[in-house]
Amino acid sequence: MARRKQREAEPEEEPQMNMSSMMDACFLLLIYFIVATSLVSEKRLSVSLPGGESTGGTPPPLEPGRIKIEANGSVYWNGDMAMAGPMDPTLKPRTPEYREQRQMGELVEALKNLAEAAKAADTTPIVMVEGATATPHQRIVDVMAALSEAGITTVGLNTAAQE
Amino acid sequence: MAKKKARAEDETKAELNMSSMMDACFLLIIFFVVNASQITVAKDPCVRMPNAVTCSDMKDANGCVVVNVFADADKMSDKEASKFAEKYAPGTAWGVSDGSKTIGYGPEQVQDLTDYITKQVEFWKGKNTDPNLIRLYIRGDKDASWERSAAVIRCAAAAGLSNVVFGTLPAN
Repeated sequence: MARRKQREAEPEEEPQMNMSSMMDACFLLLIYFIVATSLVSEKRLSVSLPGGESTGGTPPPLEPGRIKIEANGSVYWNGDMAMAGPMDPTLKPRTPEYREQRQMGELVEALKNLAEAAKAADTTPIVMVEGATATPHQRIVDVMAALSEAGITTVGLNTAAQE
Repeated sequence: MAKKKARAEDETKAELNMSSMMDACFLLIIFFVVNASQITVAKDPCVRMPNAVTCSDMKDANGCVVVNVFADADKMSDKEASKFAEKYAPGTAWGVSDGSKTIGYGPEQVQDLTDYITKQVEFWKGKNTDPNLIRLYIRGDKDASWERSAAVIRCAAAAGLSNVVFGTLPAN
């Protein structure tokens, strides 16, 4: 009798959880997130356009800075002060020459001076950017990066007629 | 004899311990869930992004009205041009996504683009988004002409949107 009872008790196994369906769900989620994730995130350059209507009766005490960009990529500050030369389309990205062409140290300095002058006058620095219609978008972004580096976010954007 | 048979049956049962695999899976899922928040805007593969030395991270896509600005087809590589031709009509200057479909606008469809931006602004306002967070996100191709980007900004201004964000990739 005792032997029979012992035999009956033996086949009972330890309770186990079937993980296969959970693994399926896990892998599905994993695949979804691997596909949907982009590790190289896009960055932003924020600018605010000045409003069309004047909010106060008095004109701003500080003259806005003016940046002119020609179709070949040349950049001028406040009229005819050359800040960067034309872009060479033959240069390959990630080369020192290409990087040098893109950097605008002088422009950043001029913009920082404007920002400091605006701070001293307790006003917001405004810069008007006038690009030729055929200017490559990359050059506009270079100028925006310089503005961003100088901490200027209020920018007016104009389009100059193609010469 | 019967005992032997039973023992043999027991020996043939092979089991795989899944617990460590589950641990690894969960870790990977957590990693990708955290990183997935970096997906901010719908990205059109026909746009080759410009890069900038000074730029900041895009943390939240809420309130972004995304407009892709394309370069002329002759400035694209053959592969990019064929991809562009599959999706858009020739001469398309701007591309937007409306729900699951992609819409292309030509230079003569400025009013349609303005209507789209107005609709998107209303959409974000309807979602109680902070008005300062509603902004135009320009994903301009690095070789696109400024004329096209400026036209988008004009459309946005007509729709009452004055905050503009230029999409870039970090230079380094």
